[in-house]
Amino acid sequence: MTKATFVFISCVLLSLPLVLSAGQISIETQLLICTPFILILGIPHGAIDNTLYLRNNTISNTAFISSYLVLIAANIAIWIFLPALAYLIFLLLSAYHFGQSQFSHHFSKTSIAEQALFLFWGGSLLTGFVYFNHAEISSIINNNIEFSVFRNIHGLDLTLYLLVALSTLTLFLLGVLFVRKLIKLEAILMEILVLLLVMASFYLMPLLIGFSLYFIILHSFKVLREEYNFLKKEEITSSLFDFTKLIAPFTILSIFGILFLYGLIYFDFLGLSYGYGLLVIISSITLPHVFVMNRFYNLLSRKNLVETMS
Amino acid sequence: MTLLDVLTIPKDDPIAFTFFTGYMAMMAASVFFFFERGNVEGKWKLSLLVSGLITFIAAVHYYYMRDYYLATGENPTALRYIDWTLTVPLMCVEFYLLTKAAGAKISLLWKLIAASVWMLVAGYIGEAFNPAGGSASHSVLWGVLSTIGYVYILYTAWFGEVAKLAEASNNAVVKRGVRTLAWFVLVGWAIYPIGYMCMPGGWLNTAFGWGSENVDLFYNIADAINKIGFGLVVYNIAISSGAKAQAA
Repeated sequence: MTKATFVFISCVLLSLPLVLSAGQISIETQLLICTPFILILGIPHGAIDNTLYLRNNTISNTAFISSYLVLIAANIAIWIFLPALAYLIFLLLSAYHFGQSQFSHHFSKTSIAEQALFLFWGGSLLTGFVYFNHAEISSIINNNIEFSVFRNIHGLDLTLYLLVALSTLTLFLLGVLFVRKLIKLEAILMEILVLLLVMASFYLMPLLIGFSLYFIILHSFKVLREEYNFLKKEEITSSLFDFTKLIAPFTILSIFGILFLYGLIYFDFLGLSYGYGLLVIISSITLPHVFVMNRFYNLLSRKNLVETMS
Repeated sequence: MTLLDVLTIPKDDPIAFTFFTGYMAMMAASVFFFFERGNVEGKWKLSLLVSGLITFIAAVHYYYMRDYYLATGENPTALRYIDWTLTVPLMCVEFYLLTKAAGAKISLLWKLIAASVWMLVAGYIGEAFNPAGGSASHSVLWGVLSTIGYVYILYTAWFGEVAKLAEASNNAVVKRGVRTLAWFVLVGWAIYPIGYMCMPGGWLNTAFGWGSENVDLFYNIADAINKIGFGLVVYNIAISSGAKAQAA
């Protein structure tokens, strides 16, 4: 069990009775509850992408930031001209990224089987999220004209088939990796338990709270710990305070960037709804982040630091 | 006159069934642990005695709970918590005894006992003082407070003092044993809240209509798994450790 898993289990156990007894929680209240945690842990986990990417690399900081911004711009362009494709890319990259961070402490080397596992695990997670919150997601899609293009992707039957297929493939790959002695039985049992708990929290909790619990603790907190431990080992930071100083600039910049874009939406310069704008923003910052994190985990493998980081 | 002259076990009552099997299983496990105590190395005898005591105390309580349930059809809440107040701290003693050789201090034992008593007292208030008809806020408040004690024990077993001492013991058998017990705390102990949420006002009771009789069904299943399972893990450590010592 990783520390992130322990915190996740504890938070689910402690918050579940409170959330269940609270009755209906409006989406605005959910946003109010989740936003501080997203700002404190969610955004910072991607705020040192430059530091991580420049480690053991010859590329300059300016070149990195320029490439990062070009990728973001390219992604926004795809959203403008081919929104369905942009959405599909976002789902696939997110699935892979979530799976990779979930299993990062298990594998010192990643072959095709491990990479497929990342994709299928992340795919199970995302389809589970959509399936167990289908009524709320359908209502968002139906109430916003921009989302109409996704209506077919999120049909209830298709989502269920995908959930069953991806979960089965995840279990199958875990079995294959166990037979090849690349993962221990105990680790498999823990991962199954965690996936069941994540699914239960998606089912039992309101849309945003359920997803934020996963995203903030099991994903962002775990990645932040890995980043912190890596930078400490590399003697780039020596304390939590140093680390906070390192993540602060781009965290603050991101928050102001999001506020600026929301200002543009508020004054109707972009002609978008808040929900759609948020989706485009998240997808655009996810795209370069996924590549950076992929390189980060490869770097951990090369330096034989995988098991000590989580 | 025997018990069965005045009380019958309904064929379709799984709770009565689990009370009877629970009683017999606990008694059989006690006999097993007490007898096997003579077959393990000296340093494991106390652990086996504690394992036997846990199941024996539970067996005695199950004897009374079984009769109480058959006579009244009600949850034997007081008897249940008296049993747990004695046996759960004894499970914490098992953690202490296993890691004692690696340097566990008596303060570890007291911290675990305090957390387990906190967990049980909060659970007891939640269940025994539940207003008539059930109250969701009462059930949630005391359920959450009880969970804090559980989370502390879970942390200690997986990351805290117990885990660190097991790691420092350099004994593969102890490490594996402590990890197995930690799994019992994570999964086996998590069955109890399912029972707790079946009481009137509990979430499973109100949301899914699971009757309050299920409280005892889940508790009986959890008790059988955890108390006997805990003892068997300790027994396995003692036997494996002895075999390893003989081989060396």
